[in-house]
Amino acid sequence: MRVQNERTVVDGLRLAVRAMVYAVLGGAALITIATVVSVLGPMLALDLYTPPVAAWWTVFTAVAVQGVPFLLLGTVVSAAIGAFVPERVFTKLLPRNQALAVPIAGAAGVVLPGCECASVPVASSLMRRGVAPAAALAFLLSAPAINPVVLVATSIAFPGQPKMVLGRLIASLATAVVMGWLWARFGREEWLRLPKRTQAAASSPTGVKAFVAGLQHDFLHAGGFLVLGAAAAATFNIAVPRSILDIFTGSSWLSLLLLALLAVVLCVCSEADAFVAASLSGFSPAAKLAFMVVGPMVDLKLIALQAGTFGRSFAFRFSSTTWLVAVTSSTLVGWWLL
Amino acid sequence: MRRYGSAVLLLMVGGAVLRISLFSELYLRYVQAALRPYLVVSGGLLVLLGVVAAVRAMVHREHEEEAGEEEEGEHDHGHSHSHSGPRIAWLLTLPALALLLFPPPALGSYSASREEAQRAAQGVGTFSALPAGNPLDISVAQYSSRAIYDTGHSLKGRTLRMTGFVTHGSKGTWYVTRLMVTCCAADATISKVEIRGDESDGAPQTDSWVTVTGTWIPKGRLGTDSAWPPVLAATEVTQVKQPADPYDKR
Repeated sequence: MRVQNERTVVDGLRLAVRAMVYAVLGGAALITIATVVSVLGPMLALDLYTPPVAAWWTVFTAVAVQGVPFLLLGTVVSAAIGAFVPERVFTKLLPRNQALAVPIAGAAGVVLPGCECASVPVASSLMRRGVAPAAALAFLLSAPAINPVVLVATSIAFPGQPKMVLGRLIASLATAVVMGWLWARFGREEWLRLPKRTQAAASSPTGVKAFVAGLQHDFLHAGGFLVLGAAAAATFNIAVPRSILDIFTGSSWLSLLLLALLAVVLCVCSEADAFVAASLSGFSPAAKLAFMVVGPMVDLKLIALQAGTFGRSFAFRFSSTTWLVAVTSSTLVGWWLL
Repeated sequence: MRRYGSAVLLLMVGGAVLRISLFSELYLRYVQAALRPYLVVSGGLLVLLGVVAAVRAMVHREHEEEAGEEEEGEHDHGHSHSHSGPRIAWLLTLPALALLLFPPPALGSYSASREEAQRAAQGVGTFSALPAGNPLDISVAQYSSRAIYDTGHSLKGRTLRMTGFVTHGSKGTWYVTRLMVTCCAADATISKVEIRGDESDGAPQTDSWVTVTGTWIPKGRLGTDSAWPPVLAATEVTQVKQPADPYDKR
């Protein structure tokens, strides 16, 4: 008994001494940091605000600002689906057979006019409403690539080349449908982490309250990942000079792969990528097609958004496979059509 | 703070979007002009959502205080996620605060120097006639594509005026440069025009904005690399303020 008592006293003392040491060390560190920051901070901030850093901030905020309206549109649609559309609507609209549902869902991508930020929350809410993941994923991939706004932008960027628009439509749709089928055949439920989210928070699972709660949650969640993607995009935008591209224009195979990679790191919005592709002079039409097919389906911003919505293990598997399928389909379509 | 997290974030993002789109023209530094109505609408919607979130959090708090301590733990467990919002959302404070406090500048000579000027991917051909005007205001992009690709030589004999920022080349040459943005600043492409003429007071400073009036000097064969960059013989160079829209229109 006595031994135990002594032990607690010793323990208490040890704890007190440790706490004091921590407090002194921590306090000293804090004071040092505060002094250094307050003295050097303004000097350093001015020194660090070099042209590349300023350009990084501009590109970073630009990607984020540009994404906000589209992300909000996507979350409004997805929250509306979650709150107002009963499950049976989708089970009636889509055939039970997955192999048939995939192409229909892919073609339905035409109706969502927006860029890729909008499609991720919509696809996730479709899955929550009982749509087969394979069909929802086909929709996720096709919606930003084949909607009318994007196709019109493509025809403006490539005047007098309607084949480019047709090629984009066919190659994008083919990629989306093939990916849907691949998921139906090989995909595993455990890769896909569907957010349980606000069901518990909203007092009633449907109606206006659920709509508002879903909207707030989805926008904030996806917005965080949009910022993450914007930071990655800005970093590559500043770190990779586009003059690098000139080295690779010689080989048509290399240039196709290079533009397909460039589409991933540049994260140009799908409504603008046709103009960027058109300005990449010296590349073969097939390479430009690959840029436009890959861009809306796989890029850093999208990978971040998908990782946030569906889980990391899904995002990496899905994005890398999509990249391969998209490159293959744009090579085939380019060889056949362009 | 945790309780009002969602509300704070939504208000901050909405406020930042409204600050650059409704209360100023700063949005033109980041995105193209046509996006403005969408920005205003989404900024307003976000502020509205933020107010709703704040009111709900307040009402909820009162309920909790009435309900007493015992229930609070349980309550918090079930609801904290919806009020404080997902943790990743705090990243939104970065661009929001940047826009509210120190809006980043428009892209300038640094970005222009890193990317070789891209010529619009179009073949040689005849362009539509230029409108009347003396001097005629023309965009840097329009001037350079006409100078390089127009078999109709529509620039010939015209006095032209264009605005852009100054970049310097080797051997004392200088250019009027303008970036063009299609959707947002991440897709900026550049066009530039070499300025020759009165060298008495030297070239203007890099990144300063100028309006140059002058005439076209034909150079090289149309549609080839030797025709590029196009040249303008300047008769007048005036320093101007950076225009509201720092980028060229397509």
